[in-house]
This record gives sequence, C-alpha cells and structure tokens, in this order.
Amino acid sequence: MSDRQRLRVGIVGCGQIADAHLQEIAKLDIAHVAAVCDVHRDLAVQAAARFHVPGVFDNVDEMLDASRLDVVHVATPAQTHHDLAVHLLERGCHVYIEKPVAIDAPEVESILSTAHRTNRLVCVGHDQLFDPVWLDCRDRVAAGEIGEVRHVESVLGYPLSGQFGALVVSDPNHWVRRLPGGLFHNVISHPLYRITDLMPGAEPAVDAHWFSRGEATFPTELRAHLRGDAVTGALTFDTGIEPQRITRVYGTAGCLEVDFDGQTIQRRRQARLPGAFAKLETPWRQWREAGANLRRNLARFLKSDIHYFAGMGRLFDEFYRAVLHGEPAPIPGEEIVRVTRVMDAIFDQCRGSAERLPRPSIRPESRPSLAHSV
Amino acid sequence: MQAVVTGATGFLGKRLVQSLCREGVSVRCVVRRSSNVGGLRDFLGDDWRKVDVARTELTDFSACVDALSGADVVYHAAAGLTGSTSTLFLNTVIPTRVLMDAALEVEVRRFVLISSLGVYGTASLPSGSVLDESSPVEPEPHLRDPYTYSKVVQEQAAWEAWRERRLPLVVVRPGVIFGLERGVLSGRVGVQVGGRLIAMGGGQTLPYTFVENCADAIALAGMEPGLEGEVFNVIDDDPPTAARLLKMLRRAGRRPRTVRVPGALIGGFSGLYEWYHRYSRGQLPGVITRYRSASMWKKLRFTNEKARRQLRWRPEVAFDEAFRRSLQGPDGRQ
Ligand SMILES: NC(=O)c1ccc[n+]([C@@H]2O[C@H](COP(=O)([O-])OP(=O)(O)OC[C@H]3O[C@@H](n4cnc5c(N)ncnc54)[C@H](OP(=O)(O)O)[C@@H]3O)[C@@H](O)[C@H]2O)c1
Repeated sequence: MSDRQRLRVGIVGCGQIADAHLQEIAKLDIAHVAAVCDVHRDLAVQAAARFHVPGVFDNVDEMLDASRLDVVHVATPAQTHHDLAVHLLERGCHVYIEKPVAIDAPEVESILSTAHRTNRLVCVGHDQLFDPVWLDCRDRVAAGEIGEVRHVESVLGYPLSGQFGALVVSDPNHWVRRLPGGLFHNVISHPLYRITDLMPGAEPAVDAHWFSRGEATFPTELRAHLRGDAVTGALTFDTGIEPQRITRVYGTAGCLEVDFDGQTIQRRRQARLPGAFAKLETPWRQWREAGANLRRNLARFLKSDIHYFAGMGRLFDEFYRAVLHGEPAPIPGEEIVRVTRVMDAIFDQCRGSAERLPRPSIRPESRPSLAHSV
Repeated sequence: MQAVVTGATGFLGKRLVQSLCREGVSVRCVVRRSSNVGGLRDFLGDDWRKVDVARTELTDFSACVDALSGADVVYHAAAGLTGSTSTLFLNTVIPTRVLMDAALEVEVRRFVLISSLGVYGTASLPSGSVLDESSPVEPEPHLRDPYTYSKVVQEQAAWEAWRERRLPLVVVRPGVIFGLERGVLSGRVGVQVGGRLIAMGGGQTLPYTFVENCADAIALAGMEPGLEGEVFNVIDDDPPTAARLLKMLRRAGRRPRTVRVPGALIGGFSGLYEWYHRYSRGQLPGVITRYRSASMWKKLRFTNEKARRQLRWRPEVAFDEAFRRSLQGPDGRQ
C-alpha cells in the first residue's frame, strides 16, 4: 500500500504499552504511525526516535491540527480515557482505547454514544481475544470438540515483586491504586473478557470478594464467580502464585485448557477404557496433546510467528480494516459495556464485603503520569 | 555547607551521604514518599543523627523548592536503573528537569549531576583509543540500551539548563560502580542468560570504580571551587580487564558458569542476532545489536587524570582490596 492509502495513526500516552502498539503497527501494511503525543514531551520524543515517527507532540489538539490522523490510540491511565476518547471522536478520529476502557459503565456508554453520533468507530484493547491460541480454542469449541460450554475459569497470576508491582505497592498515590477497583481495575479485564467471550446472553450475576495477602495494606487478591444463563465463570487474580494467564473452558464433553504464555491448548476428557486401563489412556492422551502442541509451536517458531502481542496486532489489523471499509468494529459496543458492567459489579461487591477499605477517589489529585503498565 | 542528596537510599547514594558526613557537611536526603530509609539508617549508624530526611516526589516542583531551600549544593544521584525506556525516562529525565527548575529557583551554588561513563559515543572510536572528558557524547542515544539513552537525555537536559539558564552544573560520569551489594560482574563483562554468563571478549579494560572511591570523587565535585561547566570521569586506578576479573573470581572460589564469545567474533555474533531479531519481527528481543556491542565491549583505555588533578581525588581503596570487599556478600555477581 502506498503511504497515501495507509491509515494515519496517532498514539496518545507513550508509556510502556505504547511500545507494544508501535511495534505491532509497524508490522502492518495498512497503517503507519504519523504522530505520538504525551504530556511529558520527553516520552513522546523517545517513542518517536525509536520507532521513526515523524510527529512529536505534548498537546493532543496540536497533534490533531498538524497530523490529519484517521485513528488515535489512547494509551494513557484509565482515569483520562473518557474525556480523551470523547474529544478525539468529536474531532473526527476513530479511537482505539487500551483496557480498562474507562472508569465505569456510564463512562463507557458515553464514549459509545459519542461514537454513534459522530459516526466514528471505537475499539478496545481486549487483544487476547485475538491471540492465536484463543482463536484456535474458539474454533475447537465451535466445532463441538467439548460439547456445550458450561463453565469457564480464568486465572491471572500477578506477583507484585516485579518493578511495576513494587511501585504500585509502595506508592499509595499511584494512579492504579486510585482506580475504584484498585490494582484489579487495571488488569482484570483480560481474564474477565476471556470468560464473558464464551458466556452468551445478558449480564451475568456476580459474587465477588477481595482480600489482602501478607503485609499488604490494600486488597491484593480477588475471587469472582459469574452466573450467566447457561454458562458460569470463575475468575482468580492471585499475587501469591507464579505469573500465568490460563483459561479453562469446560464443556459437556471435555475441557480445553488454554495457556496464553505457553501458547498451548490441552484437551482433557474422561477416559473411555475400563478400570486400570483408563490410568494409561489419560497420560497417553496428554502425551499426544503435548506432542501436538510442541509441533505446532515449533512450526510457528520457524515461521517467526510467536509474538507476545500477536493478538494486539491482529486486533489492530481488524479494526483498521473496519475503518477502511466502513464496517462495524471488531468488538461490539454491547460487549464492551457488558464487560465493564461486570467489572463495576465486582468492585461494588468487593467494596461492600470489605467495608474497612473505602472507595478511593476516582480522579487523582495531581495529573497522573502517562506511563502505562502491563 | 548544606548539601542535598537525591537517591540517598541507593547503592551509591548511601556512600555519598556517608562521605559528606565525614567531611562535616550537613546533609539533607530527599527521598520519595515510598522510599525505604531503613537501609540508609542502618548503613550510616551514628551519622544518621546528623542527616535530615525530606520526603518529596521529584516531580513536584514546589515540594522540591521547599526541600532545596537553604541548600548550597545539590547532588543528584536519583535515577532509574532498569525497566523500559519510558519507565527510565519517567524516573530519570523528568525528575531531573523538575529538580533543576527548583535548584534554579532557590539559586543553589552548585548542581552536581551523577551521569554515567556510558554516555560517550564509543561506537565510533577506534579500538585502543583513550576515552577522556573530551571524547564525543553518544550522537545516536536511541540506538543504545534504554538506561544509557535515559542518561544521555538527562545530561542533555542539564547542559541545556547550564547554557540557557546558568545552572551551576558539574557533571560526574562514573564508570561501572562495584561494591558489596552489587558484586563485581557487570554488563561490561558480558550478558547473563538463564543463569549463565556469556562473556564478551575478555581483553577489554573494565572502567570500574569502587563505590566508596566513587562517592569520595562525587563529594569533592560539590566542594572544590570554580568547577562549573566541567565534566569528570570517575574510574579507579589500574582497572582490570574482563579476563583478569573472571580469573580473580575463579581464584576466589567463585565459578560463574561462563560461555565465552571471543572478541573477534563479537561483531559477527551481534550482527547475526540483530538480523534474526529483524527477520523474525521480534521473536527474540532486540537487546543485542552491532551498534550496542561496538559501544559496550570495545577495547579502550581510560584515564582519571582530570579528576585527580582538578578534584584532587585519590581513589583510596586499591582494586584488589575493593574486589575482596565486594565479594564478602553471598554471591559476588551483579
Ligand atoms: N551503579 C552503577 O554502576 C552506576 C554507574 C554510573 C552511574 N550511576 C548513576 O549513579 C546513580 C546512583 O546509582 P545506584 O547504582 O546507586 O542506583 P540505585 O541503587 O538503584 O539507587 C537509585 C536511587 O534513586 C532513587 N530513585 C529512583 N527513581 C526515583 C524517582 N523517580 N524519584 C526519586 N528517586 C528515585 C532510588 O530511590 P528509592 O529508594 O525510592 O527507590 C534510589 O535511592 C544513578 O544516577 C546512576 O545512573 C550508576
């Protein structure tokens, strides 16, 4: 595609996650990044220098005036998403918003209604739905491999010993700590939408609580149960286990375990052979599954197709194609609202069950820095 | 003299505070709200009573002005050492800008910036050159590792403040600082991969400075008169080569599991890695490039002549003794 036909993309917020956006967009033919913007000009300058972006700004309006952008990605702290997104839509841009989309469902609804009125598209950073291993799992579920889906379990292991975690722990004023759902608000959308993706119907009922592990002075662990029309879900966020992103999909005829970090899918089902033979059949099947995963990953490795943010790249591609061809955005607005409502319900319940922990103020007193986590 | 030290809770900062206390300087440590000062307190022992602590975010201009009020000299040692480029910029470049604004506001007599020897543009120097204060600063910092990039931009911001707003700046560029908590291995020797050290070359001299020696040099940079606008490289006398350091480690009973890439192959190896990173569109992280390798593992000669002459600095602890003291910890590696 010639430069004139490619979509012109801008990025607002040049923290850590912006690197992933820049890296993934660089792999696509249909778009290129024309401008980056951050309230800290130094951050915009470094992103532009490393990813060869021509436009560098510390003010969104100046960026829009100078750069004729088709799409703008919002990668700033969640507290700023609503106002920024609405403004960008009003100025005629299609908008990609990092997770969590906004602070709560009313904010999300306001963004979507602005998009409707301005006839622009909104896409949210639910990128793991487009991860190759999840797409594969969905295909296998659709093909009936595990029968009817009945229950989905998502685990996020998130030790706080990493650099970002340590910062969030030590600084009560960190922007993440000031979100209504605290630490969880910033990260649980990923394990949550992996559940709701396979949970059709209306908003599920929620039963959730959070608690602290060890010395922490704020909630660090979260457990949530969801009850939909036909499918139930369980979400575990744990800082005491190894880092991991696992989703298990249980059906009437077996279970698929998806390991996002290992990029594997393990199928489990009841053995068919009688008695003690079953104890041989199960490991035999697991061994064959492991072999299939190894072959698949080896082939992907040789094709240079194993990338941590592959889902993000695919989601960008689909979003940009929708923009170019006037089609609906890859993730429907109703789903974005549904996930946000479930998050609101989880946090409301958790706060209710832990009265001693007050709801933090939503807006930080000082403007948060535009560094982005995870 | 009233000194303010940022980064006082860090590896170098603790020794700097100690060195200043020993010189009879009154010290205020500016630490963040989240900083743990327990280590500094234990380290200083009796001297702890002589320092005062101001809890201030270095991004808050008016709080920095308060913390700097009455200060003659600011020693700015706070910086990020690890993380993504944006994280390092947030911890290094942005706080430096705010702190310099505050220092100009309260009109301090001197602002000592702790930069790094890494800021030199060594990729373009011929092998065997002498690296001194007149050597060129990195012209393409975004091609270097994130830490070096952040330190180059930090210095650029400081020089801009010196030129345009007369910040009374003195820049100190320490080599690799080693000592008890850090051990003696560093990226200048090689890269750690899965518990193994990939030793790069071996004949290159390591621009090392023992943390106590380094702290003394920095303390002097705030005290000697008439140094504004000067730069000082801080490297100890007779630094070892990488091969000698590894030999000393083995003799001391430490056996880092090492795979050696001979010096002559570093360029080719780095080029291959860089090619694969590009070819596979990032299937391996782009941490090794020809440019970075040429900057990092080149054979250069280092001199501390200027610091000796103008700061009247003498590295008190000789390398062999410093090496011994650095290994008293559990591991001896960084
Ligand atoms: N180590 C070396 O080999 C070497 C070589 C050349 C130059 N240097 C320079 O020497 C200085 C000290 O290095 P080090 O080895 O002592 O590092 P360190 O042990 O990691 O200490 C860093 C210090 O900076 C503080 N800090 C980090 N980010 C901050 C922020 N955003 N706001 C306020 N304070 C912040 C830390 O405070 P907390 O306690 O709150 O985390 C800590 O006190 C740095 O400027 C470094 O670039 C080091």
